[in-house]
Amino acid sequence: MSTQTQQRRRRRGIRGFIHRLRHSRFLSNLAANRLAMIGLLIITLMVVIALYARIFIGGVGPIEGYYGEIMGSNLSGNADMAKAPPSPKYPFGLDGQARSIFPRVLFGSWLALKWGTVTVAVSTVLGVSFGVIAAYYSDLVDNVVMRTMDVLLAFPSLLLALALVSILGSGLQNAVVALILVYTPRFARVVRGAALAVLEDEYIDATIAIGAKDFRVLARHVVPNCLAPVTVQSTLNFGLAIIDLAALSFLGFGAKEGAPSWGMMLSAGVENGLHSAWWWPFFPGLALALTVLGFNLLGDGMRDALDPRMRDAID
Amino acid sequence: MASKWFVIKRLLLLIPVLIGISTVVFAILHLGGNDPAAVMAGQGASQEQIETIRSELGFDDPIWVQYTRFLSDVSQFDFGESYVLKPGQPVWGSILADKLPVTIELAIYGQLFGVMLGVPLGVLSAIKQNSLTDHITRIGALAGISVPIFWSGPLLIILFANILGVLPASSRIDTQYFIEGPWAFFGHELPLTGLMTIDTLLLGNIDAFVSAVEHLLLPAAVMGIYSMALISRMMRSSMLEVVRQDYIRTARAKGQGQKITMLKHGLKNAFIPVITVIGIQFGTMLGGAVLTETVFGISGLGVILVNAIQAGDYPVVQAAVLVFAMLFTLVNLTVDITYSYLDPRIQQ
Repeated sequence: MSTQTQQRRRRRGIRGFIHRLRHSRFLSNLAANRLAMIGLLIITLMVVIALYARIFIGGVGPIEGYYGEIMGSNLSGNADMAKAPPSPKYPFGLDGQARSIFPRVLFGSWLALKWGTVTVAVSTVLGVSFGVIAAYYSDLVDNVVMRTMDVLLAFPSLLLALALVSILGSGLQNAVVALILVYTPRFARVVRGAALAVLEDEYIDATIAIGAKDFRVLARHVVPNCLAPVTVQSTLNFGLAIIDLAALSFLGFGAKEGAPSWGMMLSAGVENGLHSAWWWPFFPGLALALTVLGFNLLGDGMRDALDPRMRDAID
Repeated sequence: MASKWFVIKRLLLLIPVLIGISTVVFAILHLGGNDPAAVMAGQGASQEQIETIRSELGFDDPIWVQYTRFLSDVSQFDFGESYVLKPGQPVWGSILADKLPVTIELAIYGQLFGVMLGVPLGVLSAIKQNSLTDHITRIGALAGISVPIFWSGPLLIILFANILGVLPASSRIDTQYFIEGPWAFFGHELPLTGLMTIDTLLLGNIDAFVSAVEHLLLPAAVMGIYSMALISRMMRSSMLEVVRQDYIRTARAKGQGQKITMLKHGLKNAFIPVITVIGIQFGTMLGGAVLTETVFGISGLGVILVNAIQAGDYPVVQAAVLVFAMLFTLVNLTVDITYSYLDPRIQQ
């Protein structure tokens, strides 16, 4: 018993982390799930594309980008090229402003992943904080926090986002703020449940008994033990957040007119190209659906890997 | 008796949620960046005119007076008057009342599509676990969850309306059919429901009914895909869990055939948790209605909400959001109560 504890103690820090990763049942389960690995592959591919687009198209790298070309109208002198079908030179065709759709779709992945990450990261942090606090300081605090979350959950998500956008005003940043408020309650609810279970454990009582402050108990003991369900929830919600962000842009409350975001491209394509240029709405939507599929495949696999009961039922 | 108390408890729990919802909705008008009095006065109005309008509308009262007035108005379905879309007209009577059935009809047929395809697919997937059918259904379900409405909608329009030309791409019914009530019921004149598929039947116009159904097929399918995917997943895992229960083994042990065991004992019990998914799905469905209506050019609650936000017509925004939230809450309540009758264990 004591040697085991010593061993565990010796494996702290980076090496301990790697050790735990290599021996994690969760990860080996996940790695054995073919669909989840396909999801991971899709996400990796999208991240590479996003970084490529940011560096080479967005023009922050050593090579001067051609961001201006994908942003402004390209109609002057090229009017006859507008809505040209896909060709070897323009693999996704041209849109109504005679811009090549291909680099715009590539750049869209940067916007989607960047703002998706911000949305999910901030709402995860907020949700974890609220959830843990509600679980730890039961009664009054719990009731106030969770009833507030219940009210936010009583709205269909896209409608709450629209209501908030009507308060905050349009624009990508405001859309992200609105979605953070929409997604936080989901995390808070999951974390509260997990935290309540963790707080039942004896080591929490032991920690409190030796005089640890509330913050230490929560940050060092409760939060780390709730992280597994949170990670699954984040991955699954990542896809939803990207769709909702695109939806707000599609309805005209997110990205600015003409911006190379997938939602905006779809909106313009549906409005102006539905009957004459199918490629205009098709490719941005395909990229969006593929990215979301990646997150759903991975998140789904993570959930199965985490819950052995479900795993047995499924495989 | 227990069930009666469950219903009462559930109804009481509704009160704080309803108050919360109306507070959020109240905040829309008062936290919004625009001064409602200025919006209503229109551009180029003098400061004096704006002030007059402000006191007319009661915006200079203390906030809690405005809040109680708002609550009492809303409880009587009075959402005030529109600022921009139809200036001076009552929001409920002249704008929303006609649009609500449009959205409800869409949501009902969308959900119907999801249930009618999702349940059999889920059962099939569970019965033939790990077969090719199962794998295809599962991957299809994940794909269905990933496809946004504002992409699947346009794609279906391109395929069925533009290329094949078999289904209409927009609106609710062909323009040649003009549906107008009231309809006669044993000599009584009753108003129309606002649901195209019902109204056309009530008026006995079969051609119009067919046209209404044709117009509904694509939007309902687009809205139902997500629902179908979620329901089939839930149905599958619920079914797999149920078939491992003792009573299924008992049924098999006494020599009952596979078909009856699965359908009678399995399906019946596996369906219970799926009902919750169907209820929760209804919320997503309402959100999806906003997008579906936009894509298909159907003038329902969702399109009105989007227009009202763009125009800064806050009373309409408030009313539309409130109606959506109420619908969602009502459906959830119904689902919870139904569930408690089907599975009395959760009442404890």
